[in-house]
Amino acid sequence: MTKVYISDYEVLSSQGDLSQTIDAIKNKNIKISKKIITTDIQTIDAPYFLFKDEIKENKDEIYGAIRDIALKIISKLDVDERKSTALIIGTAIVDLNIAHAIESCVYEDERTEYSSKKYSIDSYAKAIANEFGLNDFTMSINTACTSSANAMLEGANFINGGIFEKVLVIGVEIYSAMMSSGFSAMNLLSLESQKPFDNNRDGLILGEGLAAVLLTKQYAPWSLMGGFCNCNSINITSVSEDGGEYVEVMRNALKNANISVKDITALKTHGTSTIASDLSEINAMKVVFESGVVFSALKPYIGHTIGACGTLELAIFLSSIDNGFIPSTLSCSNPMLKKYTPLSTHKECNNGVFMLNYFGFGGNNTSVIVKKEQV
Amino acid sequence: MKLYIKSYSSYRSDKEDIDVKKELKKRYKLDTRRQDGFIHLGVFGAQRLKEESQIDKHDELYITTGIGNIDVLQRTHLYVCKEKNSIKPYDFINMLGNTTSYYIAASLGVCGKTIFQISDNFTFINSLISIYASINQSKKDAILGSIDLVNYPDEVIKRVLGIDEDVEVISSVNYQKLSLCSKNALAEVEFDAKTHSLDEIKAILNDNNTKILLSMRCNNLDYETYDKFFETAASCAINSYIKKAQDLLYVDCFEDKYKILRLKSLS
Repeated sequence: MTKVYISDYEVLSSQGDLSQTIDAIKNKNIKISKKIITTDIQTIDAPYFLFKDEIKENKDEIYGAIRDIALKIISKLDVDERKSTALIIGTAIVDLNIAHAIESCVYEDERTEYSSKKYSIDSYAKAIANEFGLNDFTMSINTACTSSANAMLEGANFINGGIFEKVLVIGVEIYSAMMSSGFSAMNLLSLESQKPFDNNRDGLILGEGLAAVLLTKQYAPWSLMGGFCNCNSINITSVSEDGGEYVEVMRNALKNANISVKDITALKTHGTSTIASDLSEINAMKVVFESGVVFSALKPYIGHTIGACGTLELAIFLSSIDNGFIPSTLSCSNPMLKKYTPLSTHKECNNGVFMLNYFGFGGNNTSVIVKKEQV
Repeated sequence: MKLYIKSYSSYRSDKEDIDVKKELKKRYKLDTRRQDGFIHLGVFGAQRLKEESQIDKHDELYITTGIGNIDVLQRTHLYVCKEKNSIKPYDFINMLGNTTSYYIAASLGVCGKTIFQISDNFTFINSLISIYASINQSKKDAILGSIDLVNYPDEVIKRVLGIDEDVEVISSVNYQKLSLCSKNALAEVEFDAKTHSLDEIKAILNDNNTKILLSMRCNNLDYETYDKFFETAASCAINSYIKKAQDLLYVDCFEDKYKILRLKSLS
């Protein structure tokens, strides 16, 4: 089996590019904005982790943003390397091509002359592959909050199988009125702050994010050791309180990576700060990590970036280790469990084996295991 | 790359006049509430597959489509963007790709890996490639569901799929249970990540003795073309030739690049 390495990564978060984001985390100097979110029942002025420079919800601006982040990595590849690089996007954004087609022919007063061109949610990936001479193979995965995490595992399979030399995985999440209204309608949003694994937690804060990760078979200090994904939950929106589904995905990830639980240096949790999800997650951690584990949550720094959180949180976590620390968890002052308390201060760390968890709607759960060699 | 097809199911709206939702309730005794046409279609195809084969709860599930959940997108666009109402929670959830996979997985009794993916081109063949790569690692079997729903006005779909206004589009759902193991397989399907130019594909077809079928996107080749349009037609074509126990070479095209599927009957 070919080993899979993570050779490059770039992000754009509400805190800026990768180095700006790491600085913000290191100094705990976090910028957060606000957005008016409307549902049938209420209108709220909700905290929202927005990009510094607005990216409007239209195809051209979204393409431009994805292209810019992709180019940061692609520009370092030569022509032959690009030809053997597949591109996978993980995203939960709405397909605006369909919205445009609906506007063009459903409403008589807005009707336009018939014209058609093949589009899908994967068209952003296709356009980037065409523009930069990447391999013809592109794919977009939509599994809600696990989209780009699953995309990384699919990419790893391609490299393990010798199908492609490299896979560029991009997580994408741009502000959407419809999506944020949906989260609000489900009473999942906090109006104050995210407090992962805190007894006073009251919901998540959404965030925009873009992150590109390059997987390769060429040696790099970081490797993707393995992972697991399942779709197993009691209903479409929640998992069981004891977190059994999360236990299964974590244990299978360890098995696939051929390591045991005691090899894990630290855990990056999903940590959404919702009442139910955090409870299930901490109960699962108690079962898998019976002797305890160093763990943290990144969402208080960048928000819940839904489809992008896979690659975005991975890139930020890796970069934090590269900078010598595991980030602490903000805002957990009244932890749910004394024995399982997230890091309250940054912890010095330069290498190790790390588990990163992502849990989503529709019971889609993913756990990824990465390793940084001691240099 | 080669996969073995252990079982399959097919449905085309032009060949069978079925009220899918009623069928799910009456025949399969399933709860259809809070779902929409796309999910119903996907679950219906999955139930048909379940009638034909043993499903293991650890089978990996891949779902692909040309356009996705068009009915919920069109409905929500009207009441959200035009009428300025807020999105209803279940419409919001149903917009997410993995919601469809969730209902399909639940109806099949599978609880393992589930992926919902779309490729701009060759979405069925690319899904086969993903599955091959995945089960090479996991050593499990996989189920591939290909779902294309027609909503009205179907002009929306035609504009998005890049086809002529007068082409007829239909709804279809097709499944295969796939394995790396040939035991008890009905057929084997061979495919590649490589795309071919027109000259290359002509050379391949000239050398070929098997029945050839083209997707409706292949304009520059002179062989029999598949009779109706939906983006995952390759899946349905494969199934129809498995049923006939015949070999097939299926050619798909996008933007002057070609990919082929070679189906070999093992019946």
